[in-house]
Amino acid sequence: MVKYLSEEWATQAKKKVLEELDMKKDLKNMNASLLNVVQNVPPDQKTVYFYIRFVDGKLEELLTGSDESIKGKNAEFTFTGDYTTFMQISSGQTSSAMALLKNRVKMTGNKMKALTITKPIDTFNACIAKLQTEY
Amino acid sequence: MKLTDVLETTKIEPHCGMCKIDFLGTGVCPAGKKHGFVAYWPEGRMELARALAENEVQPTPALIDIVNSCNLCGICDRQCNFITQRRPTHVEHALNDYVKTLKPNTMKPAPEDDVVKDLRAIVGNDWATNDPIIITSYVRSIIKQKSTGKFYIVMPKSTEEIVAIVQLAEKYKIPYLPRGNGTFFGVVLQTLLAEPACIEQGIIIDLYRMKDISIDPEAMTATVGPGVTSFELQTAAHAHNLRANVAEAESHVCSNAQNLGIITTWSNTYGWGTDNFIDAEMIDPTGAIMHLSDKEIPNPYASEQGLLSLSLIPTVIVTQLTLKLHQILEDEEAIFVPFANLPDALDFAHNLARRNIGISLAVISSKYLTEFISPTHEVAEGFNYIAKKYLKLNYIVDVICDKYDKKIIESLAEVSFDKTMIKSLILGSSKIASMKDSSLLKMISEEDNPLKAVFGGPLRKHFEKGLAASPKELVKVFDEDLREFFEKLYSKPEMTDAVWLHSFRILPSRMERKHMWMYRGGYMPGDKKTILKVVDALEKPAEQYHIEGAFGFLSYLERGKLAHLEYDYYYDHTDPDARKRVNKAIVESWRRQFAIKGVTPLEFICSKGLHRKEHILYPFPAGLSKDELGHFEELIETLFGSEDTW
Repeated sequence: MVKYLSEEWATQAKKKVLEELDMKKDLKNMNASLLNVVQNVPPDQKTVYFYIRFVDGKLEELLTGSDESIKGKNAEFTFTGDYTTFMQISSGQTSSAMALLKNRVKMTGNKMKALTITKPIDTFNACIAKLQTEY
Repeated sequence: MKLTDVLETTKIEPHCGMCKIDFLGTGVCPAGKKHGFVAYWPEGRMELARALAENEVQPTPALIDIVNSCNLCGICDRQCNFITQRRPTHVEHALNDYVKTLKPNTMKPAPEDDVVKDLRAIVGNDWATNDPIIITSYVRSIIKQKSTGKFYIVMPKSTEEIVAIVQLAEKYKIPYLPRGNGTFFGVVLQTLLAEPACIEQGIIIDLYRMKDISIDPEAMTATVGPGVTSFELQTAAHAHNLRANVAEAESHVCSNAQNLGIITTWSNTYGWGTDNFIDAEMIDPTGAIMHLSDKEIPNPYASEQGLLSLSLIPTVIVTQLTLKLHQILEDEEAIFVPFANLPDALDFAHNLARRNIGISLAVISSKYLTEFISPTHEVAEGFNYIAKKYLKLNYIVDVICDKYDKKIIESLAEVSFDKTMIKSLILGSSKIASMKDSSLLKMISEEDNPLKAVFGGPLRKHFEKGLAASPKELVKVFDEDLREFFEKLYSKPEMTDAVWLHSFRILPSRMERKHMWMYRGGYMPGDKKTILKVVDALEKPAEQYHIEGAFGFLSYLERGKLAHLEYDYYYDHTDPDARKRVNKAIVESWRRQFAIKGVTPLEFICSKGLHRKEHILYPFPAGLSKDELGHFEELIETLFGSEDTW
């Protein structure tokens, strides 16, 4: 069991994705970088950043933390929302697209491109949802 | 009477919310008016009866209070029978008998928790609850059926109370969702759009109590709170000889404006979205109050287009709206021009729109005409059969205009119906419906132009006389004990006055008296070619999935430059197979609509009603490419799962 958004969780999540997902079939050879801004993370309600970058379908980076270096990553897309919502996405209870529809997260970035990565990002989230995680 | 005896009635209850407005002059349910929560209104009692019969909820002491609060006055029977032919008092009798079988000491009240205590501290003890019986009455009209979430219902009285509720939701990290009269949810929650539209847990903010309304006759504006319905606003406006551009009678003005921008047959004159508004007061997710007129807020009109701009849940709660009102002319009159086919009707209507003829202008189908004006669904079906089969009356160009425009329309139209004929059609609808075997009509149907043969010459007088249209004749289709009431009702001038009916919009809920429906369509360029393409894009999925589909109405904006089309899918929402088919038809209709340049499907207007139409409809969407349609399929699968799970 690993703590959600911890460094250990990030390491294991990246390993799982690299092991289990096919770059072409599952991740559609996507080139994209996303910064999730997770607000109100318990216990002290601080903001945690969760950054991912794919190159030709390969997960090159999966970083989490509160430091400015992650916040400053030059991501194509930024998703901002509450801890509860990201917890639901990362545990497979809902999809990021549904969270967007329900106004639970705000997105910045090119919407047309976002449409092309909806499915592979959903597959990515379904994969990390299988990690034994403590929320 | 057992709950199972009324189960069929309660299952098809459409949650139209008409029982909350005094549209027949009877007053409204006294218990509902006193207690507010949906559970105390006829529609809520029906939902409760269904849920109890299907073991979805266990009784609590609140059930006894709800049942005992009904004095069986019968107001609901008159109202509901007029719209849906139901008798809510039968359900109340069944609930009464059910309650007699319960042992009060075995029922436990819902345990209070911190959230409900804090909500009560904000709104008072009577106006917040977590009682499962009361919560159940909101199922299918904001909560999905068989939802397992933890809910609270709160009924604020002021903007300040809503601010406190929003801040409380933030404190406890739980979602909230405002509810007007629930009519939008009542339709959407039966489809695959339920998940993005509903609340899965958290606080439901029922806005019923916020009924402040003020009219400024000099400025010709109205300022309304979020609990004010379209009917109530129109009544207040008419007292000053003014008209509001409002949605269906039961809809809450603020939520309808915010959600759909108020779609009406008057849009060619009065506009849509911000064309109608002066100002709005809104509360954002942090609890901050802002106004459209504030200078220091982000551009409130900025809007996204495209597939990812879909959002069925508003980002702010509108707590007050100031709207434009319009003068009523002393010579306004309705005139209907009948057509055998849609292209001809569109040509005629577009010509009027371009020249700004008519205050209200729409093309409506015979399905709408007959369903709205007929006292029962059976009469409507019979009337529609006669209209289509014998009279070739398939579409109506429906105009409210002054005496000058009336002359122009009469000079342009081969055949038209004036107010006298419209009155005869309303009061004679049951007679027309009974003429299926008329040899005269069969003979007329063989004419080149049956409409002209019946309504364009001397036969018209005989037809009208033969209808023997009168309230006394019409009300024979109602239950015997209600006939006296309905005869008096139909003797009132407004019940047969198309101008009044277009303004107050008390009839549209009749379309769901038999089955549920799902709104299709949206906004598009006003040219005939595009409109016919869209109609085809909506018709084909209905055929493919064996759903009854029908053109509803089309109205124009900006002198015919833009058009809004409503096309409806009718289906039995209690039949799981029909629900699957309608879901497939919805997605297929999106695929087809998105491929047409300039079309914005209705769902993509949702939550953008306070925007300027110029920000939503322009630039005209290009129509999705094959690749983009592929991504659309992936989005659908991500959102709703694979087709076989719908």
